[in-house]
Amino acid sequence: MRMQGDFYQLLKDQGYVLGMPGQAGVGQALTTATTILAFKYRHGVLVAGDRRATAGNMVMYDRTDKVLEIDRHSVMAIAGVPATAYEMVRILEHSFKYYRRTQLQELSFEGKLRALSKLLKENVPAALAGTGAVVPIFAGYDAEQEAAKIYFYDILGAEFEGVEYAVSGSGSPTIRGILHYVNTWGEQPLSAMSEEQAAVQALRLLTCAAEFDSATGGVNREAGLYPVVKLITSDGVTAMSDPHLRSLFESHVSKGL
Amino acid sequence: MYEEPYRWVEAVGNRRQYLDAQFAQGSPVVGVACEQGILLMTMSKGTPKLYEIYDRLAFGGMGHPADLEKLRFTLLEMAHVEGFNRSASDVTGSRLVKYGIAPVVKQAFEEVFKAPFIVKIMLAELSQKVGKDGFLTITYDGVFEEKSRYAVLAASASVEQRMVEYLRPQSCVSLKDAVDLAIHTWAVGDRAQRHTDDTGGDPKDEKGSSDQLVTDSPTLMTHVRQCMQEKSIECALLDRHVPGTSKYRTLGAGELETLLPKDLSSALT
Repeated sequence: MRMQGDFYQLLKDQGYVLGMPGQAGVGQALTTATTILAFKYRHGVLVAGDRRATAGNMVMYDRTDKVLEIDRHSVMAIAGVPATAYEMVRILEHSFKYYRRTQLQELSFEGKLRALSKLLKENVPAALAGTGAVVPIFAGYDAEQEAAKIYFYDILGAEFEGVEYAVSGSGSPTIRGILHYVNTWGEQPLSAMSEEQAAVQALRLLTCAAEFDSATGGVNREAGLYPVVKLITSDGVTAMSDPHLRSLFESHVSKGL
Repeated sequence: MYEEPYRWVEAVGNRRQYLDAQFAQGSPVVGVACEQGILLMTMSKGTPKLYEIYDRLAFGGMGHPADLEKLRFTLLEMAHVEGFNRSASDVTGSRLVKYGIAPVVKQAFEEVFKAPFIVKIMLAELSQKVGKDGFLTITYDGVFEEKSRYAVLAASASVEQRMVEYLRPQSCVSLKDAVDLAIHTWAVGDRAQRHTDDTGGDPKDEKGSSDQLVTDSPTLMTHVRQCMQEKSIECALLDRHVPGTSKYRTLGAGELETLLPKDLSSALT
């Protein structure tokens, strides 16, 4: 008898298939989504993402939420094809709930990481065919070790721990260097920053990414569109409100423009 | 052996008698809606009897632990697959019971060559609006009922009737009210059940059963205190105020201590 509590296996038993491998049509641009980042600050982990979804040269949507809560203590930030990424989020969300409710205990943090890894592995054919590549960041609070942690993945499902920070998406090369610079030679390392300082840093980084990457949305003050910023601490996941982000943006990012 | 219809009817009748006897030692389950959400309460020995099924659905059961587990898993599977394929709002207690487990339970009950499910189950469902919360109960023969403000499970229909008579006139606003009311109702049920068990009949038919009608708080609390020596109070709440989608939580010892009537909280430790 196999171990119970595996929701994904249950879905597969019923004939569910995650990614549909296939050839991307020539000249057909797929929707993708763009700059996400996570780093450790004083009280936990901050995860942020811009809100633009693009298909080739076209902006599909400017209100995408790429930083998604899987449960009270974990967050998955997505870069790549949103259709597949959202599907993965739904599977994970249900898997963690199903495990908790059937086994009467929380799935361990390592178990959660592995669950995402497995989904990415199953998605490899679709990712290589160009129809479903997803490169996520997974961050959460590990109750056993009493620490918030960051992991990032490649499209094949390998998981790497982001000891201090992790980035993903088309705008990530721009900010990866900045993160290294700030963390090494800045006034203080990222891990010493307060919640507000960390949020300001995230807004600046995403603004930089938007400056050099057309597929990253940045901040649109006229439309009142701010990036999604979520904080993970021992208390769980909280989202920073738009008014709070606006005031931080106006006082620390916009340089009085 | 059962080719003649009346033999089959007889067999089902015997089965009913056999099943009724299985619940005599069981612990009643009480569900009460209050402002904060829905409280489920029972007293259990070791194995819990209250469980989370879905975001807004809680489960309470009486009967054989293995049968309860089997049906709990069936409910969990149905709820999660439906919640994934459609949406969380499409997972309703009514659909799970009416089209899910009720036919299975009824079939097992009537197939006299196979074992029936020794279960009585209560599903509590937290609505999006206050005052719309609901309950579903289902018994071993597949008969289900929908209730609104409260629901009970006990060994026999007459005991359940007594508990409901005790519950019905009482108002229940705060969580403290709910805990208080649930424990008193549980004691009414458990006392009636034990009495039935001792005399081997329906408590209503018994002479001298006036003692069992006692519903004054001190007597009931003394009964609960006695039970606490071998069982422990189990409370679960579908809490409207919990952030996030999953509303189910169990009430821990610390929280129970503040909610229980004074003379019981001291007996907790």
